[in-house]
Amino acid sequence: MDEVFKALADASRRSLLDRLHARNGQSLNELCEDLAMTRQAVTKHLVILEEANLVTTIKHGREKLHYLNPTPIHQIGERWIRKFERGKLAALSELKRQLEKRDE
Amino acid sequence: MNLDQFKPLTVYSIYIASTPEKVWEALTSAEFSRQYFFGNTVEVEPRLGGAFIVRTPDGALHISGEVLAYDPPRKLAVTFNVNWPELIEKLGPTLVTYDIEQVGDAVRLTMSEGHDRPLSDDILSGGRSGWPAILSSLKSLLETGKPLVVKLGPPQRMLDALKAMGIKTP
Repeated sequence: MDEVFKALADASRRSLLDRLHARNGQSLNELCEDLAMTRQAVTKHLVILEEANLVTTIKHGREKLHYLNPTPIHQIGERWIRKFERGKLAALSELKRQLEKRDE
Repeated sequence: MNLDQFKPLTVYSIYIASTPEKVWEALTSAEFSRQYFFGNTVEVEPRLGGAFIVRTPDGALHISGEVLAYDPPRKLAVTFNVNWPELIEKLGPTLVTYDIEQVGDAVRLTMSEGHDRPLSDDILSGGRSGWPAILSSLKSLLETGKPLVVKLGPPQRMLDALKAMGIKTP
């Protein structure tokens, strides 16, 4: 679990997860498109994300595709958050989302 | 059927303190699956081309498919077609692949859900909420003897998307 928190404690890695969240199953080339990071840096971050099991890769034909893997986050949720009334938390984040949307 | 025609659209992996044989048994036996798969029972005919069936707790046929890769205790691939009218005609077949790999003292189980055509995130949202709960519960069951009781509401976003495509859902 240390690895998960360490992996998430970096804005570049979170932005890679955001890119996979927007479109799951991307190759390294696709992930590097329009990014300010070098290909080398992306590769390094992906290794850390894979070691934390936040990213899973699969070979499809000749390509290696990257997928957002939410199971470690699901486990964190089960361990620490579920006890504290998820329904109310979900309602609060929805409220936050709605209020912030109106500001846009 | 060529497995490469299915592109994985959702892939999850989980580490489990267990053995590949036990993970295989949990994935392929009714008495295990009943405990971690929302009460559903899995039946796998143990050969290539064999039948793959999932029944709801009341015994009704929920998912049917065919075994397309059978390599115990390492790899199982099955077509995984939910038995709702017109679903397969409109969405095409679904392929579910389990890869089981020993990593040190643990096992890494990777599940991939593949499709032969692009599908919207709305359609995929059902599996994306269900699979993490199923896999986490399977992990708890194998590690502690007790499944996780995850109460999920109906996958409304997916059901609405199916309805909009004219697929009747229960």
